[in-house]
Amino acid sequence: MSKPKVAFFDFAGCEGDQLQVANLEEKILDLLELVEVVNFREVISQKSDDYDIAFIEGSIASDHDAERLREIRTNAGIVVALGSCAAIGGINSIRNSQNPELVEERVYGDDADKVEAWDKAKPVDAVVEVDHYIYGCPIDQDEFVHVVESLVQGKEPNIPTYPVCVECKMNENVCVFARNGGSTQISSSEREVQTPGAAQAEQGPFCLGPVTRAGCDSKCVNEGTTCWGCRGLVDSPNENAHKKVLDKYGLTVEEVLNKFNLYFGWQQEERNNE
Amino acid sequence: MKAINKNDFSEFVDDLIENDDREVVGVQTKSNEFAFDPLKSAEDLRLDYDVTILPPKKYFMPQRETLVEYNLNEGETTPVNQVVPRIIMGIHPYDLVAIEQMDKVFEDTHEDPYYLEKRRQSVLVGVNMANVSDRSFAHTMGTATTDTGYDIMLTDIGDRYAIEVGSSKGSNLLEKAGQAVDDITTDEIRKVKQFKEELPKKFKKDTKFDPFELPSLLKNYYENDEFWEENAEDCLSCGTCNLVCPTCYCFDVQDVNDISLSEGERLRTWDGCMLEAFAEVAGDENFREEKAARYRHRYMRKGRYMYNRFGDIACVGCGRCSEQCLPDIADPVEVFNQMKEGTS
Repeated sequence: MSKPKVAFFDFAGCEGDQLQVANLEEKILDLLELVEVVNFREVISQKSDDYDIAFIEGSIASDHDAERLREIRTNAGIVVALGSCAAIGGINSIRNSQNPELVEERVYGDDADKVEAWDKAKPVDAVVEVDHYIYGCPIDQDEFVHVVESLVQGKEPNIPTYPVCVECKMNENVCVFARNGGSTQISSSEREVQTPGAAQAEQGPFCLGPVTRAGCDSKCVNEGTTCWGCRGLVDSPNENAHKKVLDKYGLTVEEVLNKFNLYFGWQQEERNNE
Repeated sequence: MKAINKNDFSEFVDDLIENDDREVVGVQTKSNEFAFDPLKSAEDLRLDYDVTILPPKKYFMPQRETLVEYNLNEGETTPVNQVVPRIIMGIHPYDLVAIEQMDKVFEDTHEDPYYLEKRRQSVLVGVNMANVSDRSFAHTMGTATTDTGYDIMLTDIGDRYAIEVGSSKGSNLLEKAGQAVDDITTDEIRKVKQFKEELPKKFKKDTKFDPFELPSLLKNYYENDEFWEENAEDCLSCGTCNLVCPTCYCFDVQDVNDISLSEGERLRTWDGCMLEAFAEVAGDENFREEKAARYRHRYMRKGRYMYNRFGDIACVGCGRCSEQCLPDIADPVEVFNQMKEGTS
């Protein structure tokens, strides 16, 4: 059996996900036993239009992007969205809820009128059909290897459908909402007593783990920070319940929406349109 | 009953940590909560804790464990059982009751060597509850104290711990403490008795049901869709109530190939019936697609199904699910009280 030919393409994004792949180090040699890489700008100079699997990084943000993407879709047997920007719109879609002219002016100044970007940054599947998704900002290297292995074997990759809380509990982390002498069960008046002035000085604890797709082994919470939602919403998030939780811990509606907009912008918009 | 000075007990624990071949684990603080973790010093052991984040089931059924290693080229499979013999310090009675229930589950019909071997090679050092968490209702479930399930059981009676021996594993362990273990005095026996008698007063939850009513209450409520939908409305389907439960034992099994694609391992990981894909089967069918159906299933399982099969009410009243559920909808007391009030 000949090795499947693999190509990487970047659109609007920081290329951090391809960097994760390039940084696989010794594993990359093992991976090259399984596949042949024909396009990978960060690593090799040659190019080819003959490939079986296309990994797409970045959001799609212009007619030019869309045209290029459609061509890739025609060439590739399997299209994989690589990383948050490609898979869910990611950070790029923060701007989707803002005034596009202002955004362009803020970024490009006097050259703003030369920019031919769409008003919204979109994930790959808003333009072409996507076969598989690798979530995360950046992607998890082990998960990338798992997806490649699965595709080579013709198997469905095993990507969790449950939220980050599952991995957090397995790791026996103290819940973000229960840190610093807090409790997972608390009324807002009790919280004020426990951390006097907290409501004015800084917002209450927040964590997007309860609605974010797992698969990261809750690594941010393991390291003492919080889940920012980089892997996107789970398939059936209970946002109302989650917002009630955040409200209970003293986040205002605006703060909650801000947190949700960091990575969930496009997904939220899609859900609202349903 | 025996007794040991607290200082001597600390020395005994330190001696075990240093000289015993087994891993010594015990309850310690983890930030502002408690967890069972390997002990580095007896100083870290907190026998006055109220409840741990996870129950000690993680030592018999780890979150992730390899069951089999295989080589596809050679067609070879090698069973693996990663057993770490352990002395587990500071298990509360409700968790001991839960472990006894799990022993039945893993012995029944299809013996599970992975669980059972880890159990056999563990020594369980129980401790009566010096403190009670706000959400615990072990007093109602009859699990605030126990006469079985431990190898030894400690009770804090001031300067000394009273020790009850529950098995030869326990007496063998105590032998290592040598002369430090003393006979208990009549006055101290009275203290232990008093400790157990006064314990129910420390519980804060107001329960209106008797645990043995649960199978019939649940049966009557099975088809009350509105009841389950209302209670499950804010469920995040995060599985927390399953994962922290000392009697939840469901797992998922996956074959994970290494990058060579010729070698790999069969991996068992915790699963939970509250997770959306738990009841998903081939063909993308899901027979508990709605969160209310999953929510109901958890209660049926705890209060009815396990009772029908093993004679146990599979809720031991530890309060972990209730304590750790962010939307605060997982408190069995609230649900069982509602049922009781709606019935009478």
